[in-house]
Amino acid sequence: MRIVIVGAGEVGSHLAKLLSDEEQDIMLVDADAERLALLDANYNLMTYVGSPTSFATLREAGAARCDLFIAVTPYESNNIVACSVAKNLGARFTVARIDTYDFMDPANAAHVKHMGVDKVIYPEYLAAQEIITALKRTWVRNWFELHEGQIILAGVKLRAGAPLAGMKLKDFAYSNRHFHVSAIKRNHETIIPRGDHRMEIGDILYFTTTRDHIDDLLALTGKTEHKIKRVLIMGGSKIAVRLVNSAHEEFKFKIIESDLDICRKLPQKCPDCEIIHGDARDIDLLSDIGIADMDAFVALTASSETNIFTCLTAKELGVKKTIADVENIQFISQAENLNIGTVINKKLLASSTIFQLLLDADSSTSKCLALADAEVAEIEIQPGSKITRSAVKDLTLPKELTLAGLIRNGEGMLISGGTQLQPGDHVLVFCLAGNLHKVERLFS
Amino acid sequence: MSALSIISRHMINVRMLMRILGWLLLIEAVFLLMPAATSLCYGESDWLPFLSTSALTASVGLVLALRSRPTASHMGKRDGYLLTALVWVVFSFFGLIPFLFCSEPMTYSDAFFEAMSGFTTTGASVITSVDNMSHGVHLWRALMQWIGGMGIILFTLAVIPMLNHSGGMQMFNAEVTGITHDKISPRISQTAKNLWLIYIILTVILIALLWAGPMNLFDSICHAFGAISTGGYSSHSAGIAAWSGSVYIKLVLIVFMFLGGVNFGLIYKALHGNFTAIRQNDVFKTYVGIIAMMLGFFALSIVWQGKVESWQSVTIDPLFQIVSTITSTGFTVNNFESWGPFVLSLTFVMMFFGACAGSTSGGAKIDRILYLFKNADNELYRCIYPHSILSVKVNEKVVSPDLVNKVIAFLCIYMLLIVAGGMALTACGVPLVDSFFSSFSCISNTGLGAGVTGYGNSYDILPDAAKWILSLLMLTGRLEIFTVLVLLTPAFWRR
Repeated sequence: MRIVIVGAGEVGSHLAKLLSDEEQDIMLVDADAERLALLDANYNLMTYVGSPTSFATLREAGAARCDLFIAVTPYESNNIVACSVAKNLGARFTVARIDTYDFMDPANAAHVKHMGVDKVIYPEYLAAQEIITALKRTWVRNWFELHEGQIILAGVKLRAGAPLAGMKLKDFAYSNRHFHVSAIKRNHETIIPRGDHRMEIGDILYFTTTRDHIDDLLALTGKTEHKIKRVLIMGGSKIAVRLVNSAHEEFKFKIIESDLDICRKLPQKCPDCEIIHGDARDIDLLSDIGIADMDAFVALTASSETNIFTCLTAKELGVKKTIADVENIQFISQAENLNIGTVINKKLLASSTIFQLLLDADSSTSKCLALADAEVAEIEIQPGSKITRSAVKDLTLPKELTLAGLIRNGEGMLISGGTQLQPGDHVLVFCLAGNLHKVERLFS
Repeated sequence: MSALSIISRHMINVRMLMRILGWLLLIEAVFLLMPAATSLCYGESDWLPFLSTSALTASVGLVLALRSRPTASHMGKRDGYLLTALVWVVFSFFGLIPFLFCSEPMTYSDAFFEAMSGFTTTGASVITSVDNMSHGVHLWRALMQWIGGMGIILFTLAVIPMLNHSGGMQMFNAEVTGITHDKISPRISQTAKNLWLIYIILTVILIALLWAGPMNLFDSICHAFGAISTGGYSSHSAGIAAWSGSVYIKLVLIVFMFLGGVNFGLIYKALHGNFTAIRQNDVFKTYVGIIAMMLGFFALSIVWQGKVESWQSVTIDPLFQIVSTITSTGFTVNNFESWGPFVLSLTFVMMFFGACAGSTSGGAKIDRILYLFKNADNELYRCIYPHSILSVKVNEKVVSPDLVNKVIAFLCIYMLLIVAGGMALTACGVPLVDSFFSSFSCISNTGLGAGVTGYGNSYDILPDAAKWILSLLMLTGRLEIFTVLVLLTPAFWRR
């Protein structure tokens, strides 16, 4: 697929590297030559220096012949203009990153489409949704559900005392047919497990199951669910504003922000929310606010380090659920090992959307979830694809991926060796990073 | 990428390196079959050494490719540099074997020199009487240049899909000439394929054109390989002078040597109808300008020396010599030495300049010279107006000061290496002028005969030590210095 990415910022360069690893033809455009030089010399992609919104640049970069055009500069208006230009030049599908809800509002969808934007990515919105899910399901690290929970993938960290700890996967599968252990994340590394692998304390296990068996999973992993009501947010960032606006009816929010100017503007943007001026790294301030009474702590400042460390402090002070925004991808696995309840990352959320387009550019029924070093995707089986030729146990599948579950006629079920996949099935695939193109090949 | 794999990445991925090296040797084995087949066709005994070398190369390649089981496929910068330098040396070591056992056997030092000279497209030869060699040897000499011209690594990138990732990118950077490495397609394998496609098309056209003239097919193939790769091996002792009567042959070769000196990315753009790219390309314009200017000087000098024999001797002959020198091909016309010392000094200048970066030519490349002169001009201007902000602008783009520094560092090291190489040769007992001329000729991959300065007829007269020194210089020059020199720095090996 020919993909033009405009804007080599954090999201843009992350996407470019990721998609280049997925064997796509990447053209990266940015106005800053020095930023591009490093990427050009080290990655398997092509770069072009020029203004993201100019016809000449985009024509030169091949926007006219591209299958996917992604505009992820820091400015919403630039992204929309770039998409509009590209669409008019002949780009097949355009994606713009936005930072206000306005362009996402279904009421404006037709106008946005008319401007030449086929899809919008709103990382802050996606992050807020992710946080809300995490607040509702306190016991999981990741929660990914298909078709209103027909199939659920839940990432759970195994603690000492869990009934499952130390058990071999094949023994577990023998006694319990309603769960599929799709992946294990251990010591910074994600593995697709075989029957001989043991589940150890400290592992994050990715279970695939159906809605009816979620409660059993809770018991098996020795977890308890907490009801969250009071939430303390550190940092009045865009995600915080979006979060408060989306969920102020269900939760009671407090925001701590160290910048007075931002504090002054927050009441206008966030109704029903208490704003506190101060530094959340100050323990006295935290106890003044009544941190011990808080159910959850969400750290959303621009600094990943601050977010991670204040979450640890909050945990020590007795907060049940902590959520940190970690923008450095390298830190994600560190943060997960350090008992941060849930880690969110805007880049991964943006890549989830792009991966979904990659797998299924025409319809947007499929869902996709990008983890730090793996991807989870829902894929519809096309008639005549390789994967339908024989039962799952007789297929020679690459070892970097596993088929976790499927939805047939609207009903979720797990996949075992004897399952014969059929066209029209929606399959949940878990694959390690850089292998999504193999999945694509199997299913088309 | 997880944190652990980022840490472990700093070590050199030896197993992966071995596997790729294995594949590369398999490719060389295939190439070695061609001279074997040629020798068989001509009924020569040399098919045996070629076939056995091919078998040996293939078996070593197979063992390396199959037995080394890489645990990770990642390749970093160090792997790229090391592999690229290693490949060129290993290719030469396997490529020299047929020379040891052919009908006119060479010594080990001679054979290595000949192979390295071939792969680096230097075209300096230790063979005194080329005519005595078999057709197989001729073809192998020509083939070595042809593979080395566009680049061994680039060829591999085009044919092995498994290198189509960032690791392949590092190897591409380490081998392809030029200051920055322009890609012509997003995927590295696509870039490599397109470049090789242009190269092959040009070669085929050249073979056809030469064959249409007074050359036979075999000579056409050998000379086409030698000219487009800007190598300069000939299948005749007299070299291109064997056809000195034919203006047609000279003209055809001039055009294709010239094309061999043009950035292949630019040729690609031109073939796709992007002529503005040529109009905006300062390097290309300078290249043409230098050739035109040199032609004027050469003609004047020839007239001054009273060597005018016909209209050709002031037009075609000097033009041929100029293009052959500036593109680092090293074909010579027969009376070149008699054109006087001024012509010889101009030859020095052209050998130093070389042609455009991203071509098959050698030398320091006109791109760098352009940076140097523009920067020097700025410095002079700043003497008068110290507060002015000036930038180096090439191809209508402002170049960052970092890049200008890198280029100046390159040129300084380049000159130091020429001097060091020359000094090392004098230590081996080679006369002063010839030492420096040979050192210069080898690092710039021109390979103009040592005979030009009057010391013997070919490089065979040099002592063995001198041949090894010159081989190293050729490799350093072909890989544009940094790739080889970085391997000699402690920082490269330190964890």
